[in-house]
Amino acid sequence: MKVSAFLKDKSGFFLLFCAEILLTVLFMTAYRSSTEQTVFIVTVISLCNTIRLVYEYMRKKSFYDKMAADCDRLDKKYLLCEMLEQPAFSEGRLFYDILYRTNKSMCENVSHYRRQAEDFREYIELWVHEVKLPVAALSLIAHNDTENGSRYSGQIKRVDSYIENVLYYARSENAEKDYMIKEISLKQAVREAVVRSREEIQLSGISVNTSGLEKNVLTDIKWLEFIITQLIDNSIKYRDKDRNPEININALQTQNGVTLCFRDNGIGVNSAECERVFEKSFTGSNGRNGANSTGMGLYIVKRLCDKLGHTVTLTSQQGEYTEVSITFKNSGILELMH
Amino acid sequence: MKKIFIAEDDTTIRHELEALLRNAGYLTECLTDFEHASQVLKNSAADLFLLDINLPYINGEQLLKDLRSFSGKPVIMVTSRQNELDEVISMSYGADDYITKPYNPTILLLRISAVLKRSEGTPQEKTFMGLSVNPASGSISGNGKEVILTKNEMMIFRLLLDNEGRIVTRDEIMTVLWDNDEFINDNALTVNISRLRAKLSSLGLGDCIETRKKQGYILVSGAGT
Repeated sequence: MKVSAFLKDKSGFFLLFCAEILLTVLFMTAYRSSTEQTVFIVTVISLCNTIRLVYEYMRKKSFYDKMAADCDRLDKKYLLCEMLEQPAFSEGRLFYDILYRTNKSMCENVSHYRRQAEDFREYIELWVHEVKLPVAALSLIAHNDTENGSRYSGQIKRVDSYIENVLYYARSENAEKDYMIKEISLKQAVREAVVRSREEIQLSGISVNTSGLEKNVLTDIKWLEFIITQLIDNSIKYRDKDRNPEININALQTQNGVTLCFRDNGIGVNSAECERVFEKSFTGSNGRNGANSTGMGLYIVKRLCDKLGHTVTLTSQQGEYTEVSITFKNSGILELMH
Repeated sequence: MKKIFIAEDDTTIRHELEALLRNAGYLTECLTDFEHASQVLKNSAADLFLLDINLPYINGEQLLKDLRSFSGKPVIMVTSRQNELDEVISMSYGADDYITKPYNPTILLLRISAVLKRSEGTPQEKTFMGLSVNPASGSISGNGKEVILTKNEMMIFRLLLDNEGRIVTRDEIMTVLWDNDEFINDNALTVNISRLRAKLSSLGLGDCIETRKKQGYILVSGAGT
């Protein structure tokens, strides 16, 4: 709180004060008081008013300065109310009360929406588990039907993968209770994901090479499998039909931990768009030129990695390759606990 | 023939599972009286139990616990949740394996045969028409000769041998190979099979692997010279 601003606020008071002095002087002169008397009275009045002003300034300054400082310090500004002490002056108390009430109402409003979102998420999870039953039944029917089954199974796989997307999207939004971090083998996670997509990989003629995966990392294996499956899906979608499509998966031990490199020789990503591939609903030029891209896959991957404390980056050269690297930190667990 | 017990409450899935298992050469028995599930399990003569986690009246994990109190027969749990916790609980209650819905039917069959084989105890050395298979040294020998098989060839040969007299689809062979980190493609499989045939015929077993068009391969004894 600046002095000048405070004084400017008090300009009406100064006008009145000047009028008061003027009247006093006139009054004293009319009653023929001595000059000393007049000076004394004016001095006393001025002094009293100055003290009053200074006192008021100090009191407000301490309250508002603390409030502004608290507000700057807080990363969640809406918690300001919790930090404030009830001020001693009545104007401040009024202000405090109103702030408190609006804050409370906002909290109620937010928690209403939070509950709504949570309910919706729970329903989605339930729905996913329900819809998996008919999908399981369909895939069995397709498998048992040796004549036409293979025609359906590809589509059933697609439905299943879209369902997985929904599930992991819902989980990535609010995932406190859904994951379990433990030491898992990268080799196993990659194997599960690759075997699950075996038919699609074979149909698209992609060859998969792995190396150096005999490493353990701290993560949730289901989530990692989902992430790898997403990357495989992308490699299949954006493969370059003029070359022998390939996926190379390997892992490197680095200073910070283990990095899983997932590289394909597909059509690649435009360098201007590399930065944006993890954005929600970003489809880019590759999405517009054919493949049915939703712009959700890598977004969900990024979100899951963020929750798990892994770093994910994408590098690419158009027409050459795309490489996604996921770094699992050594201190993964400590990182998550903070 | 081995008998598989199916505890699954969804009727369609149950029927299809029965069909799948029967096609694969198993006998099946289904749980329909969920209220007295434990009792039914107790009276069952099945060799392997396939238990769903979500069942009416009783939860699959509880059922597994009951089963373990009177039987040590192999159990595979079927979970429909993408949740590791279920798997950990199942394993700690004594399940031999678990599989998540919607499962790949080929993988389910593989798991079943793997668990059954494991429960039979130590595998005796397999022989086929005077050939002895030595998985440890990766070779097969017979007629005084020995040939070394590659890892893939060995896996294919053992799979055919385990299913002697039954058609093994390319799909099944692929699944087994991929499940062992050999991510080979269609052409490579054809090459592997023809190499395996050549090696077998060098041991005097010319035509023991027959191709069944659009179905797969079958190992038959009696052929060859």
